[in-house]
Amino acid sequence: MLFPTLDFLLFFLVVAAALTVLDRRFAQKKAMLVVASYYFYAQWDWRFCFLLGGSTAISYVAGLLIGNSADSRRRRLVLTIGATLHLVILGIFKYLDFLIGSANHLARMLGLQHELPFFEVLLPVGISFFTFHGISYITDVYRGDVRVCRAPLDMALYMSFFPQLVAGPIVRAAYFLPQLARPSDEPIPVAAALLLILGGMVKKMIIANYLATGLVDPVFAAPDNYGGPDLLFATYAYAVQIYCDFSAYTDIAIALAALCGFRFPRNFNQPYRSLRLREFWQRWHISLSTWLRDYLYKPLGGNRYGKLNTYRNLMITMLLGGIWHGAAWKFVMWGALHGGGLAVERMNESWLGRRPASVAGAVASWLIVFHFVCFAWIFFRAEDFTVASVFVTGLGSGWTEPVQQAQPAMIALILIGFAGQFLPPGSFERAGLALQRVPYWGLGIAAGLVVAAINALGPEGIAPFIYFRF
Amino acid sequence: MSLSQHERAPLVTDAIPPTLRRRGANQRQVFAVCLLGALVLAFFASRDTPSWAEQLGDSAFDHRIRDIAGAWDSAMETLGLTDPHEALRAAMHRALDWQWRASSD
Repeated sequence: MLFPTLDFLLFFLVVAAALTVLDRRFAQKKAMLVVASYYFYAQWDWRFCFLLGGSTAISYVAGLLIGNSADSRRRRLVLTIGATLHLVILGIFKYLDFLIGSANHLARMLGLQHELPFFEVLLPVGISFFTFHGISYITDVYRGDVRVCRAPLDMALYMSFFPQLVAGPIVRAAYFLPQLARPSDEPIPVAAALLLILGGMVKKMIIANYLATGLVDPVFAAPDNYGGPDLLFATYAYAVQIYCDFSAYTDIAIALAALCGFRFPRNFNQPYRSLRLREFWQRWHISLSTWLRDYLYKPLGGNRYGKLNTYRNLMITMLLGGIWHGAAWKFVMWGALHGGGLAVERMNESWLGRRPASVAGAVASWLIVFHFVCFAWIFFRAEDFTVASVFVTGLGSGWTEPVQQAQPAMIALILIGFAGQFLPPGSFERAGLALQRVPYWGLGIAAGLVVAAINALGPEGIAPFIYFRF
Repeated sequence: MSLSQHERAPLVTDAIPPTLRRRGANQRQVFAVCLLGALVLAFFASRDTPSWAEQLGDSAFDHRIRDIAGAWDSAMETLGLTDPHEALRAAMHRALDWQWRASSD
């Protein structure tokens, strides 16, 4: 069940009606949201619900055992077992066939005849996200960063809450569990939520979908059929497509959580305006980059043990961040590029400075960072290494060939997508404050009309969000 | 519940800034806004309901839904409420079909 569909609208209407009825009964409200979340998840495959339930049970029991023990060795043992169980589940569903394929490839190279059979396990939607929720919860309990959750209902809702269940943002236990302790007395920010939903729908249904079908998909499917201009614009288009697709999902998730009475953290902050690669990671998929920082980079030592160890830690963190996106060597390459880029940037920070000192320096810096990110996206998007290398080689040739796919509408969509990256700070607040003056009935009618217009302007049918597969 | 001295909330920014959370609605008003939006959508986006109904199953209830979706779309067409949808879709197709002069020659 995808967000911008009639199925989801009907589902959410039922949830909103139930929330209205249960307004003052917080425990029942949470129970209803758990049932709704499991129903939402079961729309992909009902068997996945058992996996989600199992992951929740592991986190809950591990949290209790850590919280109830004063013995530091026992606490550490429970943390290790809990995190390992989560990672084993993730590994079986996401990486087992990749590892078998890589082992078989190595065996062929060594001249061995025997090949291991593939398991062909169906990848449960959103498994990476709820695994990260579970690991972060038990780690935070171990570190004392969050109180032990003794209410199974709260843990079930934290792990399964439908807005963030399948593609994030990764919401930390210390951020979300306190919201489940007692009902919020804050008003629901309807105007801001509608703004996020409508903006998200424009980004997904118009910009991302048309760029995918009109430019990115055909060019990445057969890059040797296209000249340099098509390849270059397909690269820019993918940069815009993946941003619009993923940020649309998180915008809508944030808005839905707000309409249910909960807060979610910010996940994107105009990433393509970054002047340093480090800044890009402070603006892109913030909930993942901060998760990797707090649960991987810092435990590895962070920047505390000298320059070489810092570079190594950056590299390991980004390599694992790459693998998190999928079981394929192209994601390893993407992670390696970002890890290497961050290390090189850190190496030269003494003369580069944290921020460019002049306007010319800022422009040059922006161009370098943006094109580096785009270059890395080629590996992320291409089917495999061979396609990526054909694509990269093709960028330097065929510049006199006529343009096939990068037609005016595609260029316009790329520019519109980029324009959003350079809106002045506070634009969202100003628009939200202006909308707050509109009466609720006006907001409802306006939202219905805008959604109808977006629906008419977008292509027929909705492609799944890119991050569903991660 | 507030965090104890030993507990630290992660340094994350709320996606919806505090300025926009000072004024808002209650749950009943949220439902009213959603319902109103859905009704407007039912009037002006009826073109997509038959194709949505086609994806349903094969039970008698699903067939009934399919019939209602088709009848609803026809009724909206009679009232002229599908015209904005058609006009916007046609405009988008024209924009997508627009080609650079050099490549169309």
